[in-house]
Amino acid sequence: MAQYLNLFTTVQATGPLQHGVPLGPGNSPRSVEPFFSYWAGKLGNAQLGPIYLGGLGLASIICGVFAITIIGMNMLASVNWNPVQFVRQLFWLSLEPPPPSYGLSMPPLNQGGWWLIVGVFLTASMFLWWARTYRRARELGMGTHIPWAFAAAIWLYLVLGLFRPILMGSWGEAVPYGIFSHLDWTAAFSLRYGNLFYNPFHALSIAFLYGSVLLFAMHGATILAVGRYGGEREIEQIVDRGTASERAALFWRWTMGFNATMESIHRWAWWFAVLCPLTGGIGILLTGTAVDNWYLWAVKHHVAPPYPDVFPAVTDPALSSGAKP
Amino acid sequence: MNRAKTLRSTLMALLAVGTTLLLAGCERPPMESVQHGFRGTGMVQVYNPRALEAKIEANELPVSLPPASDEGPRAAKAYQNVKVLGDLSVGQFTRLMASMTAWIAPNEGCGYCHNVANFADDSKYTKVVARRMIEMTQHINADWKNHVADTGVTCWTCHRGQPVPNAIWFKANHQPQGSNFIGDKSGQNEPHPAVNLSTLPNDPFTPFLLEAKPIRVGGNTALPSGNRASIKQAEWTYGLMVHFSQSLGVNCTYCHNTQNFSKWEGGPPQRVTAWHGIRMARDLNAAYMEPLTEVFPAHRKGELGDVAKLNCATCHQGAYKPLHGQSMLKGFPELSKPAAASTVTAAAEAKK
Amino acid sequence: MAMLSFEKKYRVRGGTLVGGDLFDFWVGPFYVGFFGVTTAFFSLLGTVLILWGASQGPTWSPWAINIAPPDLKYGLALALLAEGGLWQIITVCALGAFGSWALREVEICRKLGMGYHVPVAFSVAILAYFTLVVIRPVLMGAWGHGFPYGIFSHLDWVSNVGYQYLHFHYNPAHMLAVTFFFTTTFALSLHGALVLSSTNPKPGEIVKTPEHEDTFFRDIIGYSVGTLGIHRLGLFLAIAAVLFSALCIVISGPFWTRGWPEWWSWWLNLPIWSQWPLN
Repeated sequence: MAQYLNLFTTVQATGPLQHGVPLGPGNSPRSVEPFFSYWAGKLGNAQLGPIYLGGLGLASIICGVFAITIIGMNMLASVNWNPVQFVRQLFWLSLEPPPPSYGLSMPPLNQGGWWLIVGVFLTASMFLWWARTYRRARELGMGTHIPWAFAAAIWLYLVLGLFRPILMGSWGEAVPYGIFSHLDWTAAFSLRYGNLFYNPFHALSIAFLYGSVLLFAMHGATILAVGRYGGEREIEQIVDRGTASERAALFWRWTMGFNATMESIHRWAWWFAVLCPLTGGIGILLTGTAVDNWYLWAVKHHVAPPYPDVFPAVTDPALSSGAKP
Repeated sequence: MNRAKTLRSTLMALLAVGTTLLLAGCERPPMESVQHGFRGTGMVQVYNPRALEAKIEANELPVSLPPASDEGPRAAKAYQNVKVLGDLSVGQFTRLMASMTAWIAPNEGCGYCHNVANFADDSKYTKVVARRMIEMTQHINADWKNHVADTGVTCWTCHRGQPVPNAIWFKANHQPQGSNFIGDKSGQNEPHPAVNLSTLPNDPFTPFLLEAKPIRVGGNTALPSGNRASIKQAEWTYGLMVHFSQSLGVNCTYCHNTQNFSKWEGGPPQRVTAWHGIRMARDLNAAYMEPLTEVFPAHRKGELGDVAKLNCATCHQGAYKPLHGQSMLKGFPELSKPAAASTVTAAAEAKK
Repeated sequence: MAMLSFEKKYRVRGGTLVGGDLFDFWVGPFYVGFFGVTTAFFSLLGTVLILWGASQGPTWSPWAINIAPPDLKYGLALALLAEGGLWQIITVCALGAFGSWALREVEICRKLGMGYHVPVAFSVAILAYFTLVVIRPVLMGAWGHGFPYGIFSHLDWVSNVGYQYLHFHYNPAHMLAVTFFFTTTFALSLHGALVLSSTNPKPGEIVKTPEHEDTFFRDIIGYSVGTLGIHRLGLFLAIAAVLFSALCIVISGPFWTRGWPEWWSWWLNLPIWSQWPLN
């Protein structure tokens, strides 16, 4: 028997355009006249707009555009200003941090100077955007859970681009701005520090990453499954538990022996998602500063798995010949 | 209801097209795999049998001339200006010359190296280079057994019937238009075949196979104990390793258990052979190729005026052992003799 | 009785797929059902076998225990118990347990009058596991291509299989999967935070409404997907992450043997620009 799966909206009911909860004094008027998008309405709300563009947002966008423009200009210059090559090689192009020989000093523009300038503007842009999310939450009288979640992501960004390079004494340790090049950095980081899989904070971060995906699959599916009882009206269900929350909770209780509530599932969600960059940042920060080889660290703590020998005995030839490796 | 069905079938069609496109960029199964470590470690070499067939064909040995007798006058006496191989018989000497023609200049013939009006004349640069190359071959076979064992190499190993081997390298001019105050590529960040089209540093040969910069970056202790290698240095080593993999047609697990790249104990013995190969490449580039810089004409040199140099691909050309481990040396014992004192003279000649 | 205050009225008979009333009861908070029994059987057997395998190995450290698949030379045959056969039986137990769990979830959905979204989503995860230990090994011609069961040993497998392709980050399906993983986590943090920010508002304020939630996101980025939309989006992102992960590993080996960076040559050599050199 055909059943409605609650995956796409089949009949879109169009109501009046929503101009948003009125804001108090000290706020700009909202810009962009809202309009409907039929295709957006197939998945979620059909309304696009309005948007709030205040001082913080404007400043953030300006800093961000500046940063992206510098990155783009460097990429374009690196293919000799050829727009066809720019599109063709886009994934390969990159803006590199300075060579380690410059330490933490300001290098020449073309030897990491541009990278540093981008870093300043990108960081400023992020902090301003953070402030925007904080201000908007407060002006609407809401909790600041989003800004604090955002702060966890900013923590990871700062660890990668600021804190760890400073502790290591070299901007060259930071991540390049480029699609393939930042993947090279990731691989090289693990190669240099003895296999990052053995970093316990890396393992924790992955557990929270996969855990977040697991949780959103679970939570998304659960709410859709009780959509016929109004499950997606989560705030209402939190303050006044209805049959949707009850069935959702019981599904999990009967399946795995325990359950969350309509509110607490969102706490599980928040913490899992936030702990991913939080622990990840700790793991990066400890690498090179506190630990130089994570595999050897694991051996030291008796957690590395041993494998039987299948090859004839091998020793480091550099040790026997006396030659430099 | 019909609209939903159309939407669904459109999505299905899109998915099918997308998957087809993705797979169209891929290879056709089935593949062959060879285990190379303890079970379940994932140390496996995966081969496409169709590509392997082509490789086997490409690595077939050329037919060797029948061996010549050792009787008769020595080549040094019979001919003039024979600086190397003088103690061969005339028959053996001629046989080697004919073989070299077949291995290096089959279309060009004797005249590629010799002035055919006077075979002893050294006026062509190719003859001077060839003489040095014979010495290099003898040196590899006598002094680098820890890399080439008794299999050894001949001119064919690198040249494969061409005057200039397929796989040589020059110092590249990465940014010929310069980069002034913006757009420096730092020797990477472009799709380069030397590093499998990745954005890794694409000239790891100059620091590691010409100069002797340290390749190792990993630490030997769990806690920091003075290892100052940077992440960027790790990228350079990675670039070199990708070259190794491509040159030998193998993946990283051929030499390493990536659980810990630095560890030697319990690892594959191939890594030791590779270690010696690195030193051999450095030796050959520094002692044989670089000194020939003034001998080669401009059209044989790189953009920056440097001489052609060798790396792993020059001999291996995509095979785990050059020519899949087949030896030509037994038929050419003169190429495995230790280099005689004439090396010094030949080198001095080359520098003139 | 381990029941929640409102639970009793929901504990009705029915909804079972197999077995009728025979296993239609609860043990504590757990629903049993026919598939609860099979789950218990497979998981118990599998766990006992893992412990036995650990006893045959060099360590009891939970981090270092390793149950390895057979050598490749066994092909698709059953190997000797101590040479990877144990791994094969444990894999059968795992698939049996996961499949039973999913079908048990279906029975629970039917009993509670819910849609099947949860067991369907879980089945995608089971498909990913099935891809790793059945589909890819079969395509490669040997069970030995499966991953070992061990906390750190399975990571060594991931590392080595990745390096078989020189630089696995360049695998396009892997790039998509990773993007979906991070985007899902990002979206989850936003959704969790948004609901909590409405129900735990600024001190002194009353609980907010979905209109506030929509207004917040429209103010910030000009669009709010809405209460229903976010759950559809979240489920889609999570499932896409898992599907692309399964895809990225099934193409590595059976459909690609070279380094993954090299796969991108089709883009660089597109007819529109192949006539120009790269630099």
